[in-house]
Amino acid sequence: MATRIDTLEPIPAPERPPQRRLSPREWARENLFGSWLDTVLTVVFGLVVAWLVYRLGKFVFVDARWEIIERNITNLMVSRFPRDELWRVWAALLVLGPSLGFGAGSAAAARRREAEEGRAAVVPERASALRRLGPLLLLVGVLLWFAQSFQATLLTLAVGVLGVAGYLLGRRVALSGRRTALVVLLGIAAAYVVVTGFGGVGWEDWGGFMLTILLAVGGILLAFPFGVLLALGRRSSLPVVRAVCVAYIELFRGVPLIAVLFMGAFMIGFLLPAGVERPSLVTRALIALVLFTAAYVAEIVRGGLQGVPAGQVEAAQALGLSHFRITTRIVLPQALRTVIPGLVGQFISLFKDTSLVAIIGLTELLNVSRNITAQPDFIAQGLIVETLLFAAFVYWTGAYWMSRESQRLERRLGLGER
Amino acid sequence: MSTENGKGMIQLEGVSKWFGDFQALNAVDLAVDRQEVVVVCGPSGSGKSTMIRCINRLEKHDQGRIVVDGIELSDDLRNIQEIRREVGMVFQQFNLFPHLTVLDNVTLAPRQVRRWNKAKANEKAMEHLRRVRIPEQAHKYPLQLSGGQQQRVAIARALAMEPKIMLFDEATSALDPEMIKEVLDVMEELAESGMTMIVVTHEMGFARAVARRMVFMAEGEIVEVGTPEHFFTNPREERTKQFLSQIL
Repeated sequence: MATRIDTLEPIPAPERPPQRRLSPREWARENLFGSWLDTVLTVVFGLVVAWLVYRLGKFVFVDARWEIIERNITNLMVSRFPRDELWRVWAALLVLGPSLGFGAGSAAAARRREAEEGRAAVVPERASALRRLGPLLLLVGVLLWFAQSFQATLLTLAVGVLGVAGYLLGRRVALSGRRTALVVLLGIAAAYVVVTGFGGVGWEDWGGFMLTILLAVGGILLAFPFGVLLALGRRSSLPVVRAVCVAYIELFRGVPLIAVLFMGAFMIGFLLPAGVERPSLVTRALIALVLFTAAYVAEIVRGGLQGVPAGQVEAAQALGLSHFRITTRIVLPQALRTVIPGLVGQFISLFKDTSLVAIIGLTELLNVSRNITAQPDFIAQGLIVETLLFAAFVYWTGAYWMSRESQRLERRLGLGER
Repeated sequence: MSTENGKGMIQLEGVSKWFGDFQALNAVDLAVDRQEVVVVCGPSGSGKSTMIRCINRLEKHDQGRIVVDGIELSDDLRNIQEIRREVGMVFQQFNLFPHLTVLDNVTLAPRQVRRWNKAKANEKAMEHLRRVRIPEQAHKYPLQLSGGQQQRVAIARALAMEPKIMLFDEATSALDPEMIKEVLDVMEELAESGMTMIVVTHEMGFARAVARRMVFMAEGEIVEVGTPEHFFTNPREERTKQFLSQIL
């Protein structure tokens, strides 16, 4: 067929790249049943998935005897925490809610300001707060469902309302980054004092999910700066500092966390001079988690430090900045933002690894969920599946939330643009 | 701070530098006067960059003396910082801080090193950004700018420390051709304003127009020094002639 070129109608240049719209049916035919092999795979895996979903769904919604969770929800949350003092936990949440809300609101206002000046890498979506909290709201919903307590629901709602109020106030006031962080830290400190201070309950008597949170948050807050210092020390020009840091990192990366926990539980006491009071088991567990995690954080951060081009340091030196300022203002900010995914992965690990403290006798979430199956009402009824499923769900919501937040943070810092 | 001989701003005396077994600088002598613009050229690997990087101690020289505005460069950290405050530098790869806005790039050193307050630093920074003709980009991040704009920001950043000397290390070599001129124009204005400058460049048109003196280097040595007229029309040394015939 010989069509002469000059007789053809000129094709109007499309303003946007052409897009194909597929109906669901076309999509399925193309992607699921494209070939003989595709069809077989689709059918086989479809059946497998359907079977699994059916079995799990049937168990969760029909067969499972959730009364073991319902009756033990307080045990799972706080374990050996004295019941007379539970009001302190609620009071702490009522302090934490608004201060964290305020921090989030103030940070959101700062981002919006950036977007208005046209220099934000990603313009923040409106009303994304609810979606961001999705996994946590799901967790709270499930916990309240199990608690079946009017009082707990009311108090949780109060925390939520105060949190939203704090958020709105934060958006209004819009403090600088440093002051926002200060407000949040003050809130956390105040919540801690509400629980422990004035004849309260020290963390050696915490348990359940509350202990899990303490170990995870405390572990992250302490292991992060310690790990950064180790990473910097490993690149120090002083041979002694370097050697100590390398030895530390290699030692702790070469030992299983369980071994570190055992050493923390049994050896810290010996290492202390006579007359010094031995720290509580919770403190020793926290120290072990921090020592262990810091070694990994150090190696992750070192990767980021190596990625900062030498020219950055030279430019800063040429401007007359001191070594300290070059590290804190130029090198670390760039190094840390490239290693956010690795860091968050490590923190998620830490969050889940807190379950290992059960082995030295602490009653955190996983330990409680095993112990309650030995209660007289539930013993030898195979209810461990229910309790483990519950614990897994709690860990998963926390880990998934952290993972999503890290992705957001990456996008916001414009990772990949450098 | 008195200068050693009259109007001298920078003196290099017998400066040598080795990288391992490779001798990058071989007994280099050079004196630069106040408000003088010296253009350094030569084949790659001839030690041009190494020489100017020794002046603000990005490289440590192994032999000889370097005196900047009456301060002799030594291993003393305070002494090095003092010299770096007086010497601005512009790099081939810009080396802007990508995590800071243009304005923060420019104000960082004045605020941290000169201890200016934010208002003063910002005001001065905007002055310098106007001088390099990009005040409207102050709130953007470096990677949102073109190469030429980035290099002009880098010049503003160096100027913000109010240095007495500016070093340019192949400042236009990484730029696309259409952006070279906007950077050279800024450098030319800076020269006319009386800044003491040492410029390593292959832009011979710029050298002819702006240089008070030309320095030709090869194999770690200064081969020939002269005025641009003499240098371009009637070079003495064989190696200079050869180099010029290759690039002109």
